[in-house]
Amino acid sequence: MITFENVSLIYPQSTKTVLEGLSCEIQEGEMILVMGQTGSGKSSLLRLINGLVPHHTGGILAGDISVDGISTRNVKPGSLAHLVGIVGQNPINGFVTDIVEEELAFGMEALNFPQDVMRKRVEEVLDLLGLNAIRSRTISTLSGGEQQRVAIGAALVMHPKVLVLDEPTSALDPIAAEEVLSVLHRLVHDLSVTVIIAEHRLERVIQFVDRIIYIEGNGETAIGSPEEILKNATLVPPIIRLTRALNLSEFGTSVREVRRLTADIRSRDFAAVNSVLAQHTPVIEIDSLSIKYGDKSALNEVSTTIGAGEIVAVMGRNGAGKSSLLETIVGVLPPDSGKVQVHGKDPRTLKGADRRSAIGYVPQEPSDLLYKQSVRDECEQADRDNELTTGATFSFLNSLVPNISMDTNPHDLSEGQRLALVLSVVLSSNPKLLVLDEPTRGLDYQAKALFTLALKEYATNLNCPVLLATHDVELVAELADRVLFLAEGEIVADGPTLDVLLSSPAFAPQVAKIMSPKPWLTVSDVVAALEDVS
Amino acid sequence: MRKPLHPLTMWIWAILLSIGALALDNVWVAVAIIIFCAVLVRLRDDGSPWSSSFWWALRIGIFIIAFRAIVGVLIGVPIPGTNLFTIPRLDLPSWMPGIRIGGAVTLERLSSSIHEGVIIATMIALFGAATSLTSPHKLLRVLPVFIYEIGITLVIATSVFPQLATSFQRIRKAQQLRGIEGNKFRNLALPLLEQSLTRSLQLAESMDSRGYGVSRQRSRYRPEKWQRLDSLIVLTTFITLLAMVSA
Repeated sequence: MITFENVSLIYPQSTKTVLEGLSCEIQEGEMILVMGQTGSGKSSLLRLINGLVPHHTGGILAGDISVDGISTRNVKPGSLAHLVGIVGQNPINGFVTDIVEEELAFGMEALNFPQDVMRKRVEEVLDLLGLNAIRSRTISTLSGGEQQRVAIGAALVMHPKVLVLDEPTSALDPIAAEEVLSVLHRLVHDLSVTVIIAEHRLERVIQFVDRIIYIEGNGETAIGSPEEILKNATLVPPIIRLTRALNLSEFGTSVREVRRLTADIRSRDFAAVNSVLAQHTPVIEIDSLSIKYGDKSALNEVSTTIGAGEIVAVMGRNGAGKSSLLETIVGVLPPDSGKVQVHGKDPRTLKGADRRSAIGYVPQEPSDLLYKQSVRDECEQADRDNELTTGATFSFLNSLVPNISMDTNPHDLSEGQRLALVLSVVLSSNPKLLVLDEPTRGLDYQAKALFTLALKEYATNLNCPVLLATHDVELVAELADRVLFLAEGEIVADGPTLDVLLSSPAFAPQVAKIMSPKPWLTVSDVVAALEDVS
Repeated sequence: MRKPLHPLTMWIWAILLSIGALALDNVWVAVAIIIFCAVLVRLRDDGSPWSSSFWWALRIGIFIIAFRAIVGVLIGVPIPGTNLFTIPRLDLPSWMPGIRIGGAVTLERLSSSIHEGVIIATMIALFGAATSLTSPHKLLRVLPVFIYEIGITLVIATSVFPQLATSFQRIRKAQQLRGIEGNKFRNLALPLLEQSLTRSLQLAESMDSRGYGVSRQRSRYRPEKWQRLDSLIVLTTFITLLAMVSA
């Protein structure tokens, strides 16, 4: 279906080749995963398939890519619209119209399809993706998962033979992600659509894919079955790390397979793990807090306390009130009723330097905080703001991620590097509380591990609380001491990470699913428990 | 589901009624029309982003009435009648005859200014109501193809603005939290520009990969049908207009 023939790609004003000599053939009805570190060129590879690279972005392309016999060299992306459907990283940015049905029809209108064909295909896609109930809704009012499905639908109405998706689940909660992935699985199996998908959270997709293209960052690529690629890769999901740690004889990518391989480990007896939260001096006190948007209530009578040195994860579906809770705690959203106190003060009264030293906040879009032209300027500004010696912020940044050039524009950094920069800027004022909103979108496993370490150090060294909203169960398992689970604006679970994550199958991390009913969340939990026994 | 009205219906309705309001030139009828619009918009509010435009139009209307009243009091031709109060008069050079700034304010002068203000506000309210009741996006779809092409460009251009407003709020919030006080234009403008450019590029990419502009001709997914209810509304409005003009 797709043939890459000796493809090399380099962007103008860059000395680094993105791809070098990639040759491979992708068959009809295959599901291919593209993986690699952040900024390694996954998106470039995806967009080569319909010619957006280089027709749209510029760059020098050697070799040839052809889809269903048509070379992308000769045609513009638009002429491949009937063959290749592409869904970008932020679907909301790619929507052209404002109603679901019209969005689905947009591509067909552009290609002058007859009306009866359009009507039929829109109905088909509405049924296939379960969008019928929201067909006349305004797109901007839909949840993240629904928007993602609309974007997939808008590509599918063209009956493409190839569907290309760039991180389709990165903004979604585990349940919505599963919905989207099961749709893709169905397309591959029922309609023989070739699906090519880039994703960082391998644990979500690994069991569905047939082959992996691994971009190693220096232009080198490797192609092979999940087993071949993941055996030696550095970026691997928890399930593979578990296989390695336990020295399992066989290789498995699905929970079911590995469960079978680890039956004897689960059957052993282990000392019971007691998960009791230590008592901390309270830092954040929330008392019957309610927030309403119009007549919709975002938070409803929420009360809790968060103590010094605790790492608390706030979880819940898209739209469960996570961001509202965080925004009230940092003091940008006034509560409708109830009280929030941080260190005994109302967070809304904090200004300037006082605010910096009291609360550090990393927003969902880290680049919102950055406004200088280079990494050097940002770091120096932070030094000045907080009366540090020049270079202090930068050396902290260097300890997080080495090898960042001082003259780079922050917007040219990779996702992980940018988060590290924002984190160093925020931490330079030694805030007494750190709040993060969805910090790990678009981070690979390595970047995530570094980030986890930095947060843990902050919490233990300064004995300050960390509060983060996230969908990433694996991150929560590794990092958090305690989980607040929100649903419909109410706290439905509040307790030690172990208890909360194990009690809900949808939010259980991979290791927990494999090792259930044993109370282990991470690979290191398992290893530690095994060492205790032996 | 009830079939929606033809996009043109509410616009014809608005145009006819505003002609009527102009011709009749009666404040009480005009106020009645505004109230009627308000009730109609309130009843048919479907939560789409356009439905708030009537309330914006109403705000603009009130501003116009106030502005017209102030200007009418300060500048203008004296109308004799009951003297309410007198403000100091500004002497103008002799080559500007007939214009007067300040001077005696009569009840008649004030009421005629407000009268004019109300009539203008009515027309704005009518068009606001038409926009609220049929989204301009739908209106574009019934226009001839050459306008439609320009129209779609406009729609895409305007779709950036709401996004821009939300990015703006987000960035300001985030920067406040970094303790950056006093919204320096530069601090806001750079990330904002950055984000809107990224968004525009992504939109262009999405449209390009979905075949926009490949075919000369463009088909329409759901042509709007003119129904009996549309004829009924237009006819009733036309009769009302005749009554208003002949009154």
